[in-house]
Amino acid sequence: MAEIVAAALTSHAPLITGKPDVSKPEQRDRLYAGFHEVRRRLAAARPDLLVMLVNDHLQNFAYDNLPAFCVGLAASYDAPSEGGAKLMRLAPRKIAGRPDWAMALLEGGLAAGIDFAYSYEIESWDELSVPLHFLLPEGDVPIVTVYTNCAAPPLPTPRRCREVGAFVGGFIRSRPARERVALLATGGLSHWVGTPETGRINPDFDQRVLDHVVRGDVEPLTRLTHDEIERDGGNGGQEIRNWIALFGALPGWKGEVLAYEPVTEWITGCATVWVRP
Amino acid sequence: MSQASYGLNKILTAIARRHLLKDALTDAEMAGHALSEAERAALRAGDIGRLYELGANPYLIRRVFRRRFTV
Repeated sequence: MAEIVAAALTSHAPLITGKPDVSKPEQRDRLYAGFHEVRRRLAAARPDLLVMLVNDHLQNFAYDNLPAFCVGLAASYDAPSEGGAKLMRLAPRKIAGRPDWAMALLEGGLAAGIDFAYSYEIESWDELSVPLHFLLPEGDVPIVTVYTNCAAPPLPTPRRCREVGAFVGGFIRSRPARERVALLATGGLSHWVGTPETGRINPDFDQRVLDHVVRGDVEPLTRLTHDEIERDGGNGGQEIRNWIALFGALPGWKGEVLAYEPVTEWITGCATVWVRP
Repeated sequence: MSQASYGLNKILTAIARRHLLKDALTDAEMAGHALSEAERAALRAGDIGRLYELGANPYLIRRVFRRRFTV
């Protein structure tokens, strides 16, 4: 039977790699250390596959076609593409997908009433490229992606995100193959991007989210409305949907905060969290 | 955010997908796009606050007009 051998949460932001020099060195070093510790633990878990719960930033899904939830069927992902690489200051590269596995997830979802959209071609922005720069520097573990609309309201409810995550977790555990699967959700915490409040971070909101994560109790987070998240966590804070989905997949699991830094210069409350039974 | 403007988001998406940074858009770049006069004026001025008010997605504002932001 397949098993979930590792799980983690990280923030993503283009400036984490794009402008490392503008941040306070001690903040940058602590956050990078958090990423490196996730990498160490992830490698030790020897996953065959990394399932990523992430969101697009209108790079792939624009207002002409916006799925609430989308399974990536790509054979490989631009993480980043040549264009994105310049802004994130990363080398362009491809990360292998697992379209066979992703198709099974998609079909399983549709059969179970989770009406995923799907896409055969996805150009990653920071949602994959930045965390994978730290966590899979060799790019040696294939990924499967589940994209949730966190960027173009109206958005799916946090509660629905947890339900979708629960389906993903159940699907993994139902696989007859002997697979070692890791789960990674990226996004958050508070940040205001492109709005008149751009640059604001709300450490109180971030701490509240992290407190729930540490207790493994995200039920209160699933009750948050879009407007409450927008008010306290900013438009970027809507990305906590990915975190909530991960806990949906892993009932009873709890977070261990490896790093939390409200990095003003990267306009993001940044965290790395290991999640364990 | 306010009600999304499909016209604004369509033109900004096209620019963002080409990974281009702009300080402002020219009339030539806006030609053929379904935009109101207020939207054209905001794009012409690179007025990021006004674009937000008019319903441009803030991620797209940030992507395209990155150089207009002080942080």
